[in-house]
Amino acid sequence: MTAEKKTEKDFLGRGSRGHRKTLLSARAAGMLAAVLALAAVPVPAVCSGNMALTASAASGSEVVQTSSGTADKTKASDGGAGSGQASAGTEKVTLRIANWEEYIDEGDWDEEEAIDLDDENSTVILGENSMIEDFENWYLENYGVEVNVEYSTFGSNEDLYNQLTLGNDFDLVCPSEYMFMKLIAENRLQPLSDSFFDEDTEFNYYVRGVSDYIRNIYDSNTINGEPWSRYAAGYMWGTTGIVYNPEEISEEEASHWAILADPKYKGQVTIKDNVRDSYFAALGILNEEELLDPEILNAQDRLERITETMNRTDEETVAAAEEILKQMKENAYSFESDSGKADMVTGKVLANYQWSGDAVYTLDQAEIDDYYLAYAVPEESTNIWFDGWVMLKDGIAGDAAKQQAAEAFINFMSRPDNVVRNMYYIGYTSVIAGGDSDIIYAYADWCYGAEEDAEDTIEYPVGFFFSGDNTDSDYVITAEADQVNRQLFAQYPPQDVLERAVVMQYFDQENNQRINQMWVNVRCFNLASLSWQDWAKIGAGVVVVLAAVVLFLKRDDILRKR
Amino acid sequence: MMKNIRFSRKQLCIPYALFLICFVVLPLAVIVYYAFSDGSGRFTLANLLNFFTNGNTIGTLCYSLVIAAVVTLVCLLVAYPVAYVLARSSLKRGPVILMLFILPMWINFTLRVTALKEILTVLEGNLSLHPFLNTVIAMTYDYLPFMILPLYTTLLQLDESLLEAAADLGAGPAAVFSRVTLPLSMPGIISGITMTFLPAMTNYVILDMIYNSTYIMGSLIGSYFNIYDWNNGSMISLILFGVICIVTLITGRGDQNNAENRGAIL
Repeated sequence: MTAEKKTEKDFLGRGSRGHRKTLLSARAAGMLAAVLALAAVPVPAVCSGNMALTASAASGSEVVQTSSGTADKTKASDGGAGSGQASAGTEKVTLRIANWEEYIDEGDWDEEEAIDLDDENSTVILGENSMIEDFENWYLENYGVEVNVEYSTFGSNEDLYNQLTLGNDFDLVCPSEYMFMKLIAENRLQPLSDSFFDEDTEFNYYVRGVSDYIRNIYDSNTINGEPWSRYAAGYMWGTTGIVYNPEEISEEEASHWAILADPKYKGQVTIKDNVRDSYFAALGILNEEELLDPEILNAQDRLERITETMNRTDEETVAAAEEILKQMKENAYSFESDSGKADMVTGKVLANYQWSGDAVYTLDQAEIDDYYLAYAVPEESTNIWFDGWVMLKDGIAGDAAKQQAAEAFINFMSRPDNVVRNMYYIGYTSVIAGGDSDIIYAYADWCYGAEEDAEDTIEYPVGFFFSGDNTDSDYVITAEADQVNRQLFAQYPPQDVLERAVVMQYFDQENNQRINQMWVNVRCFNLASLSWQDWAKIGAGVVVVLAAVVLFLKRDDILRKR
Repeated sequence: MMKNIRFSRKQLCIPYALFLICFVVLPLAVIVYYAFSDGSGRFTLANLLNFFTNGNTIGTLCYSLVIAAVVTLVCLLVAYPVAYVLARSSLKRGPVILMLFILPMWINFTLRVTALKEILTVLEGNLSLHPFLNTVIAMTYDYLPFMILPLYTTLLQLDESLLEAAADLGAGPAAVFSRVTLPLSMPGIISGITMTFLPAMTNYVILDMIYNSTYIMGSLIGSYFNIYDWNNGSMISLILFGVICIVTLITGRGDQNNAENRGAIL
């Protein structure tokens, strides 16, 4: 990686990528100027043009240049390349996709943003069109079927669920793991077809490229005896942890959930405004002693045991967590779902409960202003999360052509060059390791590899993810030393973090109700929490108001006497 | 020709009636349905009982009412003198100054609150120390124009000769104010109160933005919908609707009484 590249990336801030809107509004706030804020609202540009890949492209990828727009149907089906897959007729397919906001490459990169991976094939990656447009063209070219993608976004898993309950709106959605677990349990998902898992099919990028580490998790986690992987194909993944300012907070302090309730940092930490993440942190504090017990730390089945601990939902645990969350509420700067990143970057808070992808974004943003933050994953346990593609039974409704398009979309998103585009644009870590393609590792190296003349460097193994073997010397990034608790650490956590990375199960109806009631208890104003001083103040206020009213009503008498 | 394109009064009301049915009556019916049924669609009063037996919901209702009342009171105390000066004094630039007060309304309130957040951070150092105070300040800032405008309009229409007559008949300035100006500006006060009190009870966006992590009615309803508990959420919405109706009725009655008063004075 050359110096120019790094500066360029830092400056453009696309390293973090995706969240540009948030960033701009945060900056504008700093300027205190509504006018500036207005001027800073980005205008999303829709660009038309050709395929993203400019140079000789991914190994084994069949990049085709298509003229965008409407090729007529007959020509399309004639010209379909021999994909080996049955084309489901010439009917136009409509695919309704819902994804998180800002969670896909929307294209329109500047020329200077082209990622020159500098690998053997000197791959250059540039997001010219939106990913959706590229998919439509690619599908037409390779499957000979015109597909029309209706792409929408959602802001939370719960929003998505409510929308799914209200109507049959989508065919393919990308919720987090607990939500697709819930959907599997409710029998609302369409299983992936057998052909999707055929490694010999040219376009099956997902099954060939997905990291063994992730594949194993998707295979071994089950709902009613069925593995996730029967229904879900991964998209992005990460951990949860603490972004902190290393000048004020030591790494040791940031590496325990207890920092979120530590009176020493009153008003200096933010927590997540959603019940699952906050409950997880509360469990981490509640069970700290147990989780850090040397006996458990050294146990062979440590991960299984802490998974059990961190998934407790019995009444006693929930009640204890409620007390901890109340302390956290008293102690926190804010419960946030988005504002925390800006508050961290502007220095309003010292520590911040974050998902790893957003942590990378926060660190990148702070770096632009020469402000260096770090990311820590609590020693007790971290919640490993996944966003995955699942097809809805109601949406697909047995339509083979639609299912083929949906699965092709997943594969297209898993094509190594597209993976890099998405990762670059949104800043999260893809579940795809690349399989026979080295592009994704090259990209990780491009992002985090140290300059040749850098002095203080470390060898950072990422083999667990790319080849399934952490000692694999082919997958060791020589990074600058501070990356060990910064972006690289957040994007590709080391093995010891993964040994305490717990999958948090979805809550069934009963537990959901109990835990949400607990959350409402935490957030609501409780009359019993008022002290007698508070009551006295309220009483005084009421007396003053009553006096004013009486004065007003009796004003005639009073004035007359004068 | 002209005859053919004439509409009767009834016909003219059709578009609005349709709008009303589609977007007010039907959704309300759905809310009522959910409020009085359980997860499987059976009729139940449990949601209603739930609301009144739960310390949280009652606490939240109180908290919302207190916030709304304090905000309204502060708005009134700030806005009345301003409106009075603007309307009664012979300031040449009165309308311009009024414009300055109204101007913030042209900018989206989230932007305004974001800016205010920065100002408060500078003043207080750390926003999380005074959540209640910050909420009141932010809401006052947001709703002040809604209080000033009706007050200004009513005070502007006030007949100068009434005040002169009162003074001629021996009333001191205080008496003139309390017996003529104040009663005559009552309609303005009441519409001002309605326009601030009601939104202040539910506008949880401001609380979120200003980092007050305690729920008010709006956020409590949202939290129930978030966990797919539409039944309890609907019930709380319905109760909030009831509270708002009561407030409107009380203020509306005040308005009517006042209309009679005015008649008596005139």
